[in-house]
Amino acid sequence: MTDPYKVLGVSPSASMEEITKAYRRLAKKYHPDVNPGDEEAAKKMSEINAAYEQIKSGNAYQTSSSGGYSGQTSYGPGNNSSEQYDPFGGFNPFGFDPFGGFGSFGNTQQRQEAAEFEPVKRYLSAGYYAEALNALSYINNRSAQWYYYSAIANLGLGNKVTALSHAKTAVQMEPNNLQYQLLLNKIQNGGRVYQQYSQNYGMPVVNLSNLCWGLCLARLCCGLCC
Amino acid sequence: MFGYIVANMDKLTDEEKQHYRSCYCGLCKALGNRHGTISRITLTYDMAFLVLFLSALYETDNKTGTERCIIHPLKPHQYWQNDITNYAADMNIVLAYYNFLDDWEDDKNILSLCESKLFVREFTRIFEQYQKKCTVISDCLKELSEIEKSGELNADIPANSFGKLMGEIFVMREDEYAENLRAFGRALGKFIYILDACLDLKDDLKHERYNPLIMTSSEDFAAILNLLMADCIENYNRLPINRDKNLIDNILYSGVWTKYEAHKQKQRRQKNK
Repeated sequence: MTDPYKVLGVSPSASMEEITKAYRRLAKKYHPDVNPGDEEAAKKMSEINAAYEQIKSGNAYQTSSSGGYSGQTSYGPGNNSSEQYDPFGGFNPFGFDPFGGFGSFGNTQQRQEAAEFEPVKRYLSAGYYAEALNALSYINNRSAQWYYYSAIANLGLGNKVTALSHAKTAVQMEPNNLQYQLLLNKIQNGGRVYQQYSQNYGMPVVNLSNLCWGLCLARLCCGLCC
Repeated sequence: MFGYIVANMDKLTDEEKQHYRSCYCGLCKALGNRHGTISRITLTYDMAFLVLFLSALYETDNKTGTERCIIHPLKPHQYWQNDITNYAADMNIVLAYYNFLDDWEDDKNILSLCESKLFVREFTRIFEQYQKKCTVISDCLKELSEIEKSGELNADIPANSFGKLMGEIFVMREDEYAENLRAFGRALGKFIYILDACLDLKDDLKHERYNPLIMTSSEDFAAILNLLMADCIENYNRLPINRDKNLIDNILYSGVWTKYEAHKQKQRRQKNK
């Protein structure tokens, strides 16, 4: 992974304020809303976002050191409490449905990755979403899987905005993963019923000049009457 | 961050329109009577919605009246009021006062400082009456300001904080509805905060300011806002509201999108130019 400080063009000793400034300056230039349809800019923006997120979460150094996410960092401080939180006792990695699908490991790296998510899965299955998020924050490699679990945890906490965004990222990173798509669908479905109702109602047709006048008039009326 | 909760007038019957306008006028009158004529400049549609919503839930007896207006001296205006109107007028002052203070602290806008000074006496009086509520509101705003200063990237965190504030405002008294009202207010507050961020994104990018949705493209805004309103409706459906149902539905399903639609239209027009 590239050095996040290099991506943002700041020195590793820069203060958080300076980094935020640098990030916002870059965002101003590369944000998709400023560059509609420009794929290069969009790609650059996701790089900048990832770098900034990484520095903000305090994981910048660990990741830049040659992919060395040992199992240890991932467990973090959450590990000690994981046992006592688990109401089901032993956790069966194959029996747990929505998070299954990681049964067959091809190589050591994958196995290591899957092991990294064990505590997260455990928290999620027990409904300890905040703990799951905490455990996730110790995992440096933000893979599609990471975003998938983060979406589930955020959904559980009612953080719909983040849940939607992370589920989307997971699908974007691995478009063929059915599980990720299912989760994204599930989240989006929550808004669909409302949307349909809302569309049946009819969106407000806004005539800008009228609206402004209407508001001003209403205000003046009330301000001056009585 | 105010004035988003309005009705879609095109879809209302004349009677509903009248009822809605009279609600707004009643609140305006209450503001004037309780806090002085000048306080009317702080009037917001959001608080008019609060009056409408709580009055429908509690099925209050409304005092109606008609008064002439200087702009239309020939056409008298109707208004209606009840206890909730007074409560909403007080909350309107609290929010306006904090809003002025916030503008002063953020932008060093002298006008805002003066405005806040105008209302400091009224605010202190209300604060004493609703100490607990006002403390929660002030804590939420402090929390929100710190979250924004830290550049928080998870948009749910500041939105939840603003939601907490709105939740508090929707609870006029601690009764059997308090829990559901608080949840409804929270969801609506969350929507308002995120909607505000959606509309400000372009400006915030330009001026390199904090925006909770900085990592999001505006293509995703509608989906996000739909999710948040769906939450809001879920809580709304838990409250036994029968009166003015069509009017409230109109606001929650359609009216809340007014500013969003206006913004979209403006952007489209700019693009075509």
